[in-house]
Order: sequence, then structure tokens, then C-alpha cells
Amino acid sequence: MLLQQLINGLTLGGVYALIALGYTMVYGILELINFAHGEIYMLGAYLGIIFLGLFTVTGLTSVSLPLALFLTILLTIIVCSAYGFTMEKIAYKPLRNAPRLSPLISAIGVSIFLQNYVMLTQGATDKVFPQRFGDSGLQFLNVNMTYLQALIIIVSGVLMLSLHLFIQKTRMGKAMRATAQDKTMASLVGINVNSIISATFIIGAGLAAVAGIMVASYYGLVNYYIGYIAGIKAFTAAVLGGIGNIPGAMLGGIILGLVESAGAAYISSEYKDAYAFIILIVILLIKPAGILGKTTEEKV
Amino acid sequence: MRRFIIFLAVVLSLVVLFAGCKKKEDVIKVGIAGPMTGAQAKMGTDFKNGVTIAMEEWNAKGGVLGKKIEIIVGDDAADPKQAVSVANKVVNEGAVGIIGHFNSSCSIPASDVYNRAGIPMITPASTNPQLTERGYRGVFRVCGRDDQQGKVGADFAKDKLKIKKVAIIHDKTTYGQGLADEFKKHLGSAAEIVYYGGITQGDKDFKTVLTSIKEKKPDLIYFGGIYPETGLLVKQSREINMIVPFMSGDGSIDPKFVEIAGDKAAEGTYLTFSPDPKNIPAAKGFIEKYNGKFGELGPYSIYAYEAMNILLAAIKESGTTDGKVVIEKLHSMEFSGALGKVKFTEKGDVAGSPYVIWTTKNGKFEEYWKP
Repeated sequence: MLLQQLINGLTLGGVYALIALGYTMVYGILELINFAHGEIYMLGAYLGIIFLGLFTVTGLTSVSLPLALFLTILLTIIVCSAYGFTMEKIAYKPLRNAPRLSPLISAIGVSIFLQNYVMLTQGATDKVFPQRFGDSGLQFLNVNMTYLQALIIIVSGVLMLSLHLFIQKTRMGKAMRATAQDKTMASLVGINVNSIISATFIIGAGLAAVAGIMVASYYGLVNYYIGYIAGIKAFTAAVLGGIGNIPGAMLGGIILGLVESAGAAYISSEYKDAYAFIILIVILLIKPAGILGKTTEEKV
Repeated sequence: MRRFIIFLAVVLSLVVLFAGCKKKEDVIKVGIAGPMTGAQAKMGTDFKNGVTIAMEEWNAKGGVLGKKIEIIVGDDAADPKQAVSVANKVVNEGAVGIIGHFNSSCSIPASDVYNRAGIPMITPASTNPQLTERGYRGVFRVCGRDDQQGKVGADFAKDKLKIKKVAIIHDKTTYGQGLADEFKKHLGSAAEIVYYGGITQGDKDFKTVLTSIKEKKPDLIYFGGIYPETGLLVKQSREINMIVPFMSGDGSIDPKFVEIAGDKAAEGTYLTFSPDPKNIPAAKGFIEKYNGKFGELGPYSIYAYEAMNILLAAIKESGTTDGKVVIEKLHSMEFSGALGKVKFTEKGDVAGSPYVIWTTKNGKFEEYWKP
């Protein structure tokens, strides 16, 4: 029972963490809360259905299912990254030097646009994700874990680890950290700030795309407004861990997933959504910068 | 870039202008309200399709009171707040009567608006008892009530399934919780209730709740709610290897339920619903027309169709569109049509509305048990 709930919570938490990373990366660099980020996740879910459908029609799924799935994920990441890139160029870049409220409003606009765009092109009804894995899974210690659950936990773990290594060990990652610290200073030492910002949006969108596909295939149900609540939860996770802090977003996501599951299991499922926000309030009261966040001086 | 923006602004303002100067015609407008978008959009579309067929049939016969009939579609997105604003909008556009809404949680607040405007409202699907218990003269329904529905479900569970332990879940909406409570009430002490709790509509992950329920080993899980959640609940309960039959109400009897849950998981789910309209001879013409035009019949298409027919028949008999007269006519008339004979009680319910138990078999719904 406890173990089963732990696995349920980890699956949920892994997904929250993947989306939260996009929020926190963008915030770290631009101090912008990209409210349209949840919609990228929703687009990922839809594109997953579309590409998988395409491969089913062309017969690729019957030739090699793993190849079809791999291509689906790859194509979805590419398209979603393109959305992330374009979003930044159209909605945020022209407002780079505007007051901080303007890009925030722009972000909400993008979010509303994308939701309605998907509603009009894909229809307002729920889409059902084709079931490819069956309902079989692993069984151990009286616990059932579907292959998809295992996949979600593993994939989100691997992605988070690689992102961490990327940020800490590569030149590009170093440039990102520098840009996050001080944009002007970074450009003075020869970093192309614009391309770093683009890269941030692309990576964030790619992660959200993976989360979208995994969730769509896990629950099997997609609609045009799933991005909203997932976005809010992921944002909560990012703030919980300390917004702008990458390990913080991962930690925040996983804590959120576990708290929701534990709350729903042991207290009452009626207030499932409330637990996440109760934890958020408590953390903000005790440690306003988030669990791993550092209190920084206001930049002059 | 700037030129483009100016161009866009000009185009947009033209669109608004054109929208503003639509020609006024001498027509009778009927409002149709339900979830046209959102998770339950299928139900709203079913409504609209049913009502459209009725409208076309009447218009082909020359309309009513010598005027053509037009429908105003209101989208409440299954959201009570939006239902009230949509109700106001439809009333302001001059509707003489309303077919709708779908969700009880929308119908109840919206009925305040229609009552104030003094126009009749006939819902094809809202089954919560509260709706017609509030003393509004102009509120009618052509479907049954959850107290009748919950009783049939409870009788079936007691007499046929002979369950000992039951888990009850609801979606915290007026309809879902109301239905779950009626089921619980009628079950009485016949079975032990090992779990009772709510989930959130629109949520996708119910594994934690189901894992808790699994431990209590119920013989039956009753869910008061609508098909997207029913589908996910059934699917996820099989994923954690809990093979317990599910029972739910009329909100779950939709092909999408089977699609979401998967054929295998959905097999053997019990649902309380009205008898199959395919067995009503008078409904045959409508079903054929519907299949030809919109495809497979939705569970409430025929109710929407008949609600529209009843409203128009009452207007025709009254000889006026005055709400007060039409409402009294609705109370006194007896209608005969695609649902058989329909006569409204003083409260606005249908006199004697039987529910039966349906089940899913090979991905299709069929009648299973009669009380």
C-alpha cells in the first residue's frame, strides 16, 4: 500500500518536475514567468497522438513499434522546441526591455492563443491516446507498476540528470549560468545572450514535450486545456523548490507529487489539489525563496 | 511590421462592424444550452443535433404561429458560472424558451435566470432532484430524477448482485454527489460502505484513491459522475489489478467511456439509464434521420429532440409565445412522441420515469436488468 502510493506519487512528481524545469530555466535567465509553458506540454500530448496516428496509418507501428515510438518522441520534441523558439521571438523578445509586467501579460496572451488554436484545429472534445502498451506491468511486493509508470519515472530521472550535467559541465551550460547571473556582463565577455535565451526556451519546450507524450499515453486522455492545471502545478513545484534553481525544480516536482498522493490516500481525496498549495504556503512562510532557493540581493 | 498591425486592426474592426449589423427577421427563437466545448462537449453537441432535427421538421411544416424557428446556441462548458452568463445572453437575445442545460450544476443556477425572465426551460438531461424542487413553475425535465435512478441502482446491487461491501466515489458536482448520496441512502444497511469520498472533475490521476479502495476489498464500486472520469477510474483500477465491477449513472453511458477505459476494462460495467429508445416504435423515424445526418445516436439526443417538440407543441397550442401562457400549457398538456407519452407533474418532472440497468458488452451498451 505505502509502496504503491509512493510509486503513484513518483510518477506524478516526475512529470511535474519535467514541466517545472521549463519554468525555472526561463525565470532564472529572464525573470519571466512563462505562463504559456503549460500549453507546450499540451501541444506535446497532441503532437504525440498525431504522429503516432500517422505512423499507424503508414504501417510503421506494425513493422517496428519501438522505432515508431522513438520517432514520435523525436518529432514531437522538434516541433515543440520550434514552438518554444517562435514563442520567445514573437511574444517576449520585443518586450525584453519593457516593464516586467508586459512580458507577463504577453505570456498569458500566448497561453490563451495556443489553447484556442488547438481547440479550433483539433476540436473541443477529448482525444483518446491509442493504447500501445496494454495494461500489463511489473508486479512485486504486492505492488503493480505499469510499464508506462516505470518508463515515466526512468525517463524523467534520466532527463533531469542529463540537464543537470549539461548546465554544470558544458560550455553552453556555463554560458547559461553566466547569462542568468547578469545579462549585460555575460554579453561583455562575448556570450551571445540572444542565442542563449533561445536555447533555454528550446530545451524547456523539449522537456515539456516529453512530459506531454508520457502523460498522454499514461492517462490516455487529452484535451486542449490540460496545460492549464499542469502548468499551475508545475509552477507551484518550481516556486516550492526555489524558482530559478534547477535542482530545486526537480525536488519541488517530486515533493509535490508525493504530497498529493499521500494526502489523497491518507487524508481525503476531495482536497487533492489543495495539498499542493497548502505546502506551497507553508514553505513560502518559512523559507520565502523556496527550499533550495538562495535569497539574493535586489540587483541594482 | 507596423503596417501589418494597422492592416490587422482595420480587418478586425470591419469584422466587428459586420457582426453588429445582422438583419433582424421575424422569427421565433429557442435557446439551446449545454456544454458545447470542454470535456463534455460531446453531450452538448448531441443536444444541438437533436434539437436541430426537431427545428428542421417544424420549419419544413411552416414553422410555428406562422413564423420560422431559429435556435440560439449557448455554451456553458459544463461550468456553473458560465451557465448563468450564457443564460442571460440567451434571454437577452430574445429566446422564448430554453432546451437545456446538461449538467444539474448548470441547470440549477441558470433556472433562476429563466424564472426571472418568465420563460419555460426544459432540460433533456439534468437529473438532480433539487432542480424541480425549488418551486419554479417554468422548469421542466423530460428525463428521470436521481432519487429514482439511485434507487434502481441500489435495488440492483442488493437484489441481483447481493453485494456485501461497496465503495462510493463521486465527482463533487451537484449531479455526481447527488446521485452517489441517493444510491447510498437507498442501499441503507444492506451493504457496508467501506469508502465514501470525492474526486475532482477534470483530474486525470485517480490511482491513489483507487489504491486506498483496493485495500478495503469492496464487491462493487459506485461512481456518481460523468464519463471522462468514469473511463479513467475503470482503466486505472484495472492497472492496479483491482478487478471489481463498477456501477455508475446516466452521465457515463457514452461510447467515449468505453474508448477511454478500453474495451477490456469497460466490460461488465453497470449503468442506470432509461430504457433503450430503439425499443420505442415512435422513435424509429427520428433515429434513422439522426443516423443519416449526424451518425450514432448520443444518449440524450432523443431527449433534446423531444424536449424541443414539446416546447413547440405547447407554443402552437397556446397561440402565443408569452412565457406565462406557454408554461401553463406545458403543465396541462399531454404529449405523445418519440419518448412515448409524456405528461408533466406539478413540479415539472415526467410522471413515472422508469430506469433500468444497462451493461457494457464487447464495447457496446445494452439493457441488462429491469427492476
